[in-house]
Amino acid sequence: MQIEQEAGLDWAAVLIAALVYLSALFAIAHWADRREAAGRSVIASPTVFALSLGVYCTTWTFYGSVGRAATLGIGFLPVYLGPTLLMLLAPLLLRKILRIAKAQRITSIADFLASRYGHSPLLGGLVALAATIGVTPYIALQLKAVAVSFDALTGGGGMGPAAGPFLDYGFLIAAVMALFAIVFGARQIDAAEHHPGMVAAIALESVVKLVAFLAVGVFVVWGLHGGLDSLFTAAAARPELARLMGSEPALGSAASPTPGAAPGGAWVATTILSAAAMLCLPRQFQVMVLESVDERHLDRAVWLFPLYLLLINLFVLPVALSGLLAFGGRLDPDLFMVALPLSGGAGWLALLAFLGGLSAAAGMIVVESVALSTMLCNDLVVPILLRTRPRALARSADLAPLLLAVRRIAIVAILLFGYGYFRLAGSAYALVSIGLISFAAVAQFAPALIGGLYWRGATRRGAIGGVTAGILVWAYTLLLPSFARSGWLPAGFIADGPWGIAALRPYALFGLEGWDSLAHALFWTALANVGTYVGLSLFDRPGSAERAQAAAFVDVFQPEGGMPPQGTIPQAPPDWRSAASVGDLTRTVARFLGPQRAERAFAEADPDEPAGPERLRLAERLLAGAIGGASARVALASSVSTGAVEAAELLRMLDETSDVIAHSRELERKTAELERATDALRAANERLTELDRLKDDFLSTVTHELRTPLTSIRALSEILHDAPDLEPAQRQEFLAVIIKESERLTRLINQVLDMAKIEAGALDWRIGTIDAGQALAEAVAATEALFLERGIALAVRIPDRLPPVRGDVDRVIQVVVNLLSNAAKFTPAGGMIRLEARPEGGVLRVTVTDSGPGVAATDRALVFDRFRQSGDALTGKPAGTGLGLAIAKRIVEHLGGSIGVEDAPAGSLAESGRGAAFWFTLPLADRGEDAQPPSHCPEDRHEA
Amino acid sequence: MSATGREPGQDPEPRRHRDRMIGLFLLAAALFNPPLLGLFGVEGTILGVPALYGWVFGIWAGVIALAALAGRTR
Repeated sequence: MQIEQEAGLDWAAVLIAALVYLSALFAIAHWADRREAAGRSVIASPTVFALSLGVYCTTWTFYGSVGRAATLGIGFLPVYLGPTLLMLLAPLLLRKILRIAKAQRITSIADFLASRYGHSPLLGGLVALAATIGVTPYIALQLKAVAVSFDALTGGGGMGPAAGPFLDYGFLIAAVMALFAIVFGARQIDAAEHHPGMVAAIALESVVKLVAFLAVGVFVVWGLHGGLDSLFTAAAARPELARLMGSEPALGSAASPTPGAAPGGAWVATTILSAAAMLCLPRQFQVMVLESVDERHLDRAVWLFPLYLLLINLFVLPVALSGLLAFGGRLDPDLFMVALPLSGGAGWLALLAFLGGLSAAAGMIVVESVALSTMLCNDLVVPILLRTRPRALARSADLAPLLLAVRRIAIVAILLFGYGYFRLAGSAYALVSIGLISFAAVAQFAPALIGGLYWRGATRRGAIGGVTAGILVWAYTLLLPSFARSGWLPAGFIADGPWGIAALRPYALFGLEGWDSLAHALFWTALANVGTYVGLSLFDRPGSAERAQAAAFVDVFQPEGGMPPQGTIPQAPPDWRSAASVGDLTRTVARFLGPQRAERAFAEADPDEPAGPERLRLAERLLAGAIGGASARVALASSVSTGAVEAAELLRMLDETSDVIAHSRELERKTAELERATDALRAANERLTELDRLKDDFLSTVTHELRTPLTSIRALSEILHDAPDLEPAQRQEFLAVIIKESERLTRLINQVLDMAKIEAGALDWRIGTIDAGQALAEAVAATEALFLERGIALAVRIPDRLPPVRGDVDRVIQVVVNLLSNAAKFTPAGGMIRLEARPEGGVLRVTVTDSGPGVAATDRALVFDRFRQSGDALTGKPAGTGLGLAIAKRIVEHLGGSIGVEDAPAGSLAESGRGAAFWFTLPLADRGEDAQPPSHCPEDRHEA
Repeated sequence: MSATGREPGQDPEPRRHRDRMIGLFLLAAALFNPPLLGLFGVEGTILGVPALYGWVFGIWAGVIALAALAGRTR
C-alpha cells in the first residue's frame, strides 16, 4: 500500500492516542461493572441496548463499505437493509428467542440450538466448531484493517509488518483485545449472566464510530467539495463514476441479463444472508439475546438500530466518489476514510477516523471472541472433558477456575488463530471477501434456529443433518473457491472443477451458470440445509426428552410455559432416593459455580435428604447457565452417580423428568378442560335440584290445600253419620258447608289442572279477535253473586265501544274472574271495587281497583307466584286457592300481554285502606300477532 | 421480562403491534429489492442527489419512521 500524498501523522502519537482510547474503554467498562455491582446498571437502558447492537458494524462497515461502494455503487447497502428487515420482525421472532434464552439460561447460539434439540452435545459442538471456522477469519480481517489503516495514517513509518512477526499493530491490537475480553468477558463463570462492562464499552464504541464516520462524511462533502450537489456533479462528469450512481453495478444490467439468472441475485442474496447473520452471528446473538436485560428494550431497538445503520451509511457513497475523484485507482478504496481527511489537511480528523475504525474492530473482536470462547468451552471442551476425564473432574472440588481458564485460553487461541490467518493470508482474496463468506457460514444455523421456534416436529437428527449439509456445501461453494482465488488451491479448481469435472465447478455447481457466486452458494446451501433438516425431521421419531425440549421452546409463551410451578412434578419413583442426595447436588453445583451459589440454591434443605426431581432440575438449570444445557446434564449425571446409580441411568431419569414435565403440562391442560365441564354440569344440576324443590313445594302445598276442605267435609260427614238425631236446622247448615267445601275442592282441582295444563303447554287455546267488553261483562255477571254475598259494591267503568283485542274469550273471562274474586277476598264488607278498561298505546288495559289493605311493595313480584297468599292478614286463614293470580299471569303472558299490581290511585275509592290496583293488558287486534305491549308499571306511583 | 407472560399474539395490543410490524416487514422487503428498486436506477437527481441513492435512503428512513410510530401509537 503506497500513500503518495504526504508522510501522515507521527506514528508514536497515533499509537499513544490509540492506547489512550483503549484505556478509556477499559475505564468505561470497569465503571459500568462497578455501577452494576452497586445496583445502578448502565446497560438497563433501551438506548444502550440499541447502540450495543451496533457491534454489527465492524471495520468491514467502516472501511469496507466505501470499498464496496467504489465498485458496486449502492451495492454496499443490502448488508444493512437485511438487518433492518430482521429488526422489523423483532416483535415476532426476537421476543420469542429472548424469552426462551432467559427461561433456559442459554449461554450461546450453540447452546440455544443444542438445548432446543434435546440437549444434544453433538449439535452444540458442531455449531461451535462451524462458527469458529466461519468467523475467526473475520477477526483476522479486523486486525488487518487496523494495521493497514494505521499504516495509511502514519505513512507506513514506524513498525510495519516488516518489524517482525510479533511486533506489528495487528498483534498489538489482538493482545489488547484479548486482555479486554478476558477481563470483562470471561470474569465470571455463569455465562448466562450479563457483562455490563463489555456492553457499555461496545455502546460507547458504536457512538465513536458513528461520530467519526459522520464527521469524515461532512468534511468530505462540505469541506472538500462544497456540498453534495457539486460532488455528485463532479462525479457524474466521469463516466466510470457516473456508472456507480445507477443501479447497474449493484443490481446487474436488466437490459442484457445473463441467461438463467435473475438480475439482482447478489443483492437479494446479500440481503437474506445479512438478515440471517444479524440473528446468527455469535457476537450478534451475544449482545442481542444474551446481554439483553429486558425484552421491552426491543421496542426501541426496532427503529433505533436501523436508524443507526442508516446514519453510518449516509456518507459511504459520497466518500467513495470523492476518493475516486481524488486518488483514482492509485489507492485502495478501503482506505479513503483515513486518506481523504489526511490529504485534505485535517490530520486530527484522520486520527478520529482511525479511532472510529479501531472502535469498530475492537467491539467486534471482543464480543466475537467472548461469544466464541463461551461456545468452545461449553459446547466443545467441557463435553469432551466430561466424556474422557469424568474421574478427574469428579475429584476436583471447584471447577470454576478450570472453566474460566478454558475460556481465557479459548479467547487467546481464537485471537492467535485470527492473527495467524491475517499474517498468512495478508491481502489474499480469502481474507478480503471473508465478511460475506462468514455471513453465509453462520446463516447455516438459521433454518434450525427459526424452525426450532415454531415447528415442534423439528428433530435433533434433522438439525444436525441440516447444519452439516449446509456447512459442507458452504465450504465447497464459497470457502474452497476463496482459497483457490488466493492461490492456495490450483486455479483450475474454479474454472474446470476438481479433477476437471465440469459439473462440480464450485461457482457453477451442476451447471448452474451465470449466477453471482454468493447467490449461487445461498441457493445450494439453503437447498441442502433446509432439505436435509425438513426431510430428516419428517422421518424421525424424537425421544421423550427431545419432545419435551421442543415443547418448552415452541410453547414458551403458553401460560404454563418455561419451568413448571413447584409441586406439579409427581413424586419420583423410589429409585430416585438412592440416586442423589441434596449434598451430592450441592457439591456438583459448587464444583462448577463456586460454593456460595450452591449454598444459596440449596440452603433450605438437609444435605442428607434425597434430592428429588425438582431440585435436580434446579441444579441442571444452574449448571446450564455456566456450562450450557448439553454439558449440564452430562456433568450432573457423571458427578452425582457415585456408585448407587450409573450415569446412564441418571441421564434416563433426567429425561424422564423432562418427560414428566411435558406430560404434566398436558395433564394440566386436560384438567382445566375437565374443570370447565364439571362446572357446567354442576350448574345444570343445581338448576334441576331447584326445579325439583319447586315441584315438591308445589305438591306439598297442593295437598295441604286439598286436605283443608277435605278435612272439614269429612268431619261434618262423620257428625251427620254418627248423629242421626241431629236437628234439621243444624243438619242443613252442615250440609251447606259440605257443599261449599266440595265446590271449593272442585274449583281447586280445576285450577290445579288448569295450571298443570298451562305449564305443560297442553291447554287448548282458541285465540282470535274477541270483543273485550263482552268478556268483561260475562266475568262481572259470574262474580256478581260473590259481591252481593260479601256486601261489596262493584263499579264497572267500561267505555261503550272497546276496540277488539286478540285473545281466547274463555281465558280472558277466567283472568277477570280471578282478579275480581281476588279483590273480593281482600276487601272488607262495605268496601268498593272498581273494574276499568281503556285502550292505551296499542293495548287494552284492564284494571281492578279495590279498597282493601293493598299489597306491600316487597310482595308485588311474589303475589303472582303459585300459592303465595297475603290474604291471611285479613281473615286469618287462606281465603283462596292461591292459584288464581298465578293462572291469570300465565294466561295474560301467553296472550302477549303483561300483568301487575300497584297502589290504588290516591283518593280514588279507598276510605280507610290504601287499596290495590291489579291490571293487565291485552294486545289490540289491529296490531297483529307481533304486538309487544308496553309494560305499565310506573314505579313512581308507589308512594303516591 | 414483560409484565404479561403470554404470547404477544394473545393480547390484543401487542398482537396489533406485531401484525403491523409484519406488514411493515413485507412492505420494506418489497421496496428494498428488485424489481421495484431497479425502477429508480434512472438518470437524474433528487435535490442534487442521484435518484437511486435518494430513493433508497428515503424509503429506508420512511420504514424506520413507521417502525417507530407503530410502537408508539397503539
